[in-house]
Amino acid sequence: MQTYLLRRLLQSVPTLLGAILFVFLLFNWVGGDPAYVLAGKFSSPEQVEAIRRQLGVDQPLYVQLWIFVRQMLTGDFGLSWATNEPVANILATRLGPSLTVLLPMLVISTVIALAAAMLAARLRGSLTDRMVMVSCTAGQSISILVYIIVLQYLLGYRLEWFPVQGWGNSLGQNLLVYSLLPVLVGVLVSLAPDIRLYRSFFLEEVRQDYVRTARAKGLGEARIMVVHVLRNAGIPVITHVLIQLPALLTGAFLIERFFSIPGIGREVILAVERSDFPVIKAVTVYIAMATIAVNIITDLVYRALDPRVRLE
Amino acid sequence: MRRKQAIMAPEGNRAPMHRSKSWFSQVLSLIPAMLVPWLAMIMMGPGMTGLGVQQAHAAAPEKARMPGEVRKVLRITFQAAETGFDPARISDYYSGMVIEAIFEPLLTYDYLARPARLVPNTAESMPEVGEGGRTWTFRLRRGIHFTPDPAFKGRPRELQARDYAYAIRRFMDPANRSPYAFLFEGRIAGLDELAAQAAKSGRFDYDAPVAGLETPDSHTLRIRLREPDLGFAYIMAHSLTGGIAREVVEAYGAEVGAHPVGTGAFMLGQYTRSSRIVLTANPGYRSERWNFSAGTDPQALALDEKIVSVMRGRKVPAIDAVEISIMEETQSRWLAFVSGDTDLEYQLWEVAPRFMNGDGTLKAEFAQRGIRLHRSVDPEIVYLHFNTGSTLGEGGAANPLGGFTPARIALRRAIALAWRIDDQIAIIRKGQAVKASYPIPPGVAGHIPDYRGILRHDPRTANALLDRHGYARGRDGYRRQPDGSPLVVRFSSMPSERDRQFDELMKRSLDAIGIRVDIHKDHFAELIKQQKQCRLMMRMSSWIADYPDGDNFMQLLYGPNTGQSNSACYRSPEYDALYERSRRLPDGSERDRLYRDMTRLMEVHTAWRITDSRYRNVLTQPHVVGYKTHPVMPAVWKYLDIDAAAASNRRDVR
Amino acid sequence: MNTATDLNVAPDAVPRLPPRTGLGQLAWLRLRRDAVGMASLVIVAAFFLLTLGTAVSWIAADWAEVKAPSNAPPGRHLPPVQAVVDPSAVADPSAIPDPLAGVLAEIAAQTVVAGSVQGAESWLPLGADRWGRDVLAKVLKGTQTSLWVGVSAALVAVFIGTLLGALAGYWGGRIDDALNWFYSVLTSMPYLMLILAIAAVLNQKGTMTVVLILGLTGWTGIFRLVRAEYMKQRVREYVRAAESLGASHARRMFGHILPNISHVVLVQLSLHVVSFMKSEVVLSFLGFGVAIDDVSWGSMLNESQSEVLLGNWWQLAAATVAMGLLVTAFSLLTDALRDAMDPRLAHRRGD
Repeated sequence: MQTYLLRRLLQSVPTLLGAILFVFLLFNWVGGDPAYVLAGKFSSPEQVEAIRRQLGVDQPLYVQLWIFVRQMLTGDFGLSWATNEPVANILATRLGPSLTVLLPMLVISTVIALAAAMLAARLRGSLTDRMVMVSCTAGQSISILVYIIVLQYLLGYRLEWFPVQGWGNSLGQNLLVYSLLPVLVGVLVSLAPDIRLYRSFFLEEVRQDYVRTARAKGLGEARIMVVHVLRNAGIPVITHVLIQLPALLTGAFLIERFFSIPGIGREVILAVERSDFPVIKAVTVYIAMATIAVNIITDLVYRALDPRVRLE
Repeated sequence: MRRKQAIMAPEGNRAPMHRSKSWFSQVLSLIPAMLVPWLAMIMMGPGMTGLGVQQAHAAAPEKARMPGEVRKVLRITFQAAETGFDPARISDYYSGMVIEAIFEPLLTYDYLARPARLVPNTAESMPEVGEGGRTWTFRLRRGIHFTPDPAFKGRPRELQARDYAYAIRRFMDPANRSPYAFLFEGRIAGLDELAAQAAKSGRFDYDAPVAGLETPDSHTLRIRLREPDLGFAYIMAHSLTGGIAREVVEAYGAEVGAHPVGTGAFMLGQYTRSSRIVLTANPGYRSERWNFSAGTDPQALALDEKIVSVMRGRKVPAIDAVEISIMEETQSRWLAFVSGDTDLEYQLWEVAPRFMNGDGTLKAEFAQRGIRLHRSVDPEIVYLHFNTGSTLGEGGAANPLGGFTPARIALRRAIALAWRIDDQIAIIRKGQAVKASYPIPPGVAGHIPDYRGILRHDPRTANALLDRHGYARGRDGYRRQPDGSPLVVRFSSMPSERDRQFDELMKRSLDAIGIRVDIHKDHFAELIKQQKQCRLMMRMSSWIADYPDGDNFMQLLYGPNTGQSNSACYRSPEYDALYERSRRLPDGSERDRLYRDMTRLMEVHTAWRITDSRYRNVLTQPHVVGYKTHPVMPAVWKYLDIDAAAASNRRDVR
Repeated sequence: MNTATDLNVAPDAVPRLPPRTGLGQLAWLRLRRDAVGMASLVIVAAFFLLTLGTAVSWIAADWAEVKAPSNAPPGRHLPPVQAVVDPSAVADPSAIPDPLAGVLAEIAAQTVVAGSVQGAESWLPLGADRWGRDVLAKVLKGTQTSLWVGVSAALVAVFIGTLLGALAGYWGGRIDDALNWFYSVLTSMPYLMLILAIAAVLNQKGTMTVVLILGLTGWTGIFRLVRAEYMKQRVREYVRAAESLGASHARRMFGHILPNISHVVLVQLSLHVVSFMKSEVVLSFLGFGVAIDDVSWGSMLNESQSEVLLGNWWQLAAATVAMGLLVTAFSLLTDALRDAMDPRLAHRRGD
């Protein structure tokens, strides 16, 4: 076990280094030179040069890369170029709001999707199953942009069920007031693909021998679905949910922008717009770390839920 | 966490591989160790739960209020994130607004007078001007104090002349890389030398004497300029030139941008970066009463008198707090305003037809709700600039648009004449802009309202010009250069939906005269870089007044400013000579004559196509009283009030 | 193709078939019995025909023409009148000489001041956009772009994913390690960052850029699947047999194994077409959409974003419905294809 973990951690080192190298080269190549913007409307070439020196972008690439690696090891990415604030500070204040929306969204959509998928799988081939599948497919075909625009207008403004946008200071207020509509949009968008996916997981299990055995033993269909099938289909579901999380941290930028949620995705767009390299680097490293961690956790969960899986 | 990891490692080594009943819990506790930076960041930052609020000051005593009195909070939005509140480090409009509310320059503007008129702020009176504008002596009011801050170690700290001298020095400190250093560059005797020295030694000596920056006593600031400059008073009214305490800057170091400590009517309360900024009324603010008189503009007289009658004698600031939310999307800002979540909103031109009639009045459904519309033209110009240099950047490729031969001038002229200005105003601006043809916008000294230039929409003449200068059409319908080589002009813009509209307009305009256009997209930083290196061919830019004087605009075409603000890289000896003469003249008909000639020079050489100045349509909720848009002072929050009775109908009165 | 093996897996699914029917034919026979699948196929085929029509300019060739006033609602409209010369065109006199003065005077003397030109009335069943272009024509033309973006990006992604997956799965060892490393680097990067970076590298040259952004970032899932399939297949008997008959590595990889996993690849292809058509909308939002002389559903949705608040709903509705129809049909077709092509699943329906 210990060796397994150690090996996985060692394996993640090259991945992390690769991600660093990739983002470093990419943004050095195309990230834009912020010195001219930072220098202001009137700026002489000397001033621009001085700023480049301050930012360290005049250094040879390998020196800059080494600084990046050191920053990753110490976890200190220095100050944002655009705002002069510690990068750690920026990201720390962004993570909370992102998670406040993402976690409820993931939980709710997983629960609903599981229930619907189980129903559809149980009634497979029936009219209900087909209706669920077709409506899911249709729901999935509409762009998230349309969902946001229409729901914000209808439910927020027209019907006044939710605040149109906003973000408060307390977790309670954010969770119970401001994140409701964004969570609803998120759930609606992710529900359809989730149901389709989970249904296929269930169908995979339904055909297994143990289900036949259970049926042969005379167990009720409901009991088979909940106790046996759910337990086994749960493994890929958990994987799917976990793996989504790091991607969603940056991927929810549309929701964050329209509902004024100060989350990570919005920050990434801002950082790229401002050529704020320290923030870009930090986000990449942390998301990469989270992705790797999630992958390892997923393997462990597999192991915990399914004794047949051996971790070598 | 780290300790735990150390303890567990040997234990794990002893454990046999297959006996793994407890491995799961072990693993779970190991994972965090691997993620030290990630988790540390979460825990260290207060932001885990959205409670990420920085208390910028030691808790200031809440203002004493009568029981039952509502807290008057003005809720507004910014369209883009702020970058920080250090006056010497920022350059964006929104951060500037907050800074204007917290820090106080020596001079400020009269709230109602138009055109904008300077009045003393923390200065006792207007400055004494000597030697024809070479020496400026400011005397400070006594008894103005900074808001309490730990940096002052519990003692009250009076605002003094040295705080202004320090603020000015900070702009020139290379370590601050101030985007607004140009306000003082080359102006104050001895200061540039000090900055040059700092650039060499790497350290700016704040204690070194500067000949042009003296404080004969604690409340007198004497500034000596290198050359006489009658416009210098405007600089000392600029919102970034407020007095700043050296103790605070030194105490917070690099993080001073999140800890602004000033003497203004407001101070920074809760601050969640790029999301929410709360400014609370400064309880120690000098007892000031609202006392302005109606301006002289006959059109605004009725409004002014109404404001005066309501506001005169009220305490400044009358409101308790300003709550700023950052909202990027117009749909969100508009819906927030109409559902009553914000009190004042102006960044709505995309949806203007939703609330305005064609004649610029508010639609009845909103007027009936008591919402008011305040309409004015911003002191800005938007212009399409052509690179007039013969190459794209130093030693770059040949620029098909550059140079001053008749053929090249004709090409630029044709593009300027082809520009579909009416579509720009009607479709892109949704009617929320006025056509402009003069480089100095309304509200700025030197503006000429009825100026008629030579550039207007006339594609027929544009085509004829091109025909006569040898730009023959090829088989595909697009024109070629006179030497027969292909002609492609490049238009640069940012990847955004709004810029896409301008791209489309450019294409439609140039298709009509058979010129092939290539749209070049890049992000802002890169565009600015290339523009300053004169590597762009065409781009739309806008310039909003830093101070309400025409010089701020006419310098945009001054040859030596190439690489800085002269984005057309326009070098005309005639223009430069006229500009240098104009610098020595005060605002008046003589200077206006020079400005007219300079404008015509720009037109005949066609370095720019000036397009429009945008309307500022400010919507206020019924309970907001005393509001009037000021052309150069955007943060007028301290001069307006919230009518408590009307506000009690509001959804969420605090 | 080793039909026999496949027939053995699901013998009861296709009871009375001639023994030498190919996998493709079997799939087609199964598909034909699926009503939803066939309906979807018809719709998708109709969209492809439409695309062909717009591509050769039979349909919606004049989409870029101004047909009506800005944002005109559905109905009959005249195009806006274009004043030819600005009547207030007299400039203030000045002492500054104009180098073009002579030429301009000649032009002015020759120009006949004509009146305004009035175009013909046309019927716009879906209204007009902000420039007065026919929304119906835009939707039709947009179909071409969106479908083209979806299909070609999916082809790029499938090509990269299959090639790399085949290499990694077939060879294993160092090659597998290296490709796996590349895979995990790409998947651990924030996708948004990747998109923004690649978009900046390619620097906005229109539809091809969109295709490349999506294709270059979207192949990772396919790689994973194909790699697993190759690992499974390479030890199978038929591959061994091919080896003993002297088939080269390349021939074994692409001549023998690939046809056997083609159902996986094909299903992935159509799944990615759908997801890329949707991604194009988000790319447009980020400012990396199609070029300005082109139109796609994504660019239409983004254009109409602010228009909806003004009550101009028709463009949003038109693009949403068109996209919904095609994407739904495409997804259902993919489901049907998957069922039809994967012999393992053939008996699931009746399960």
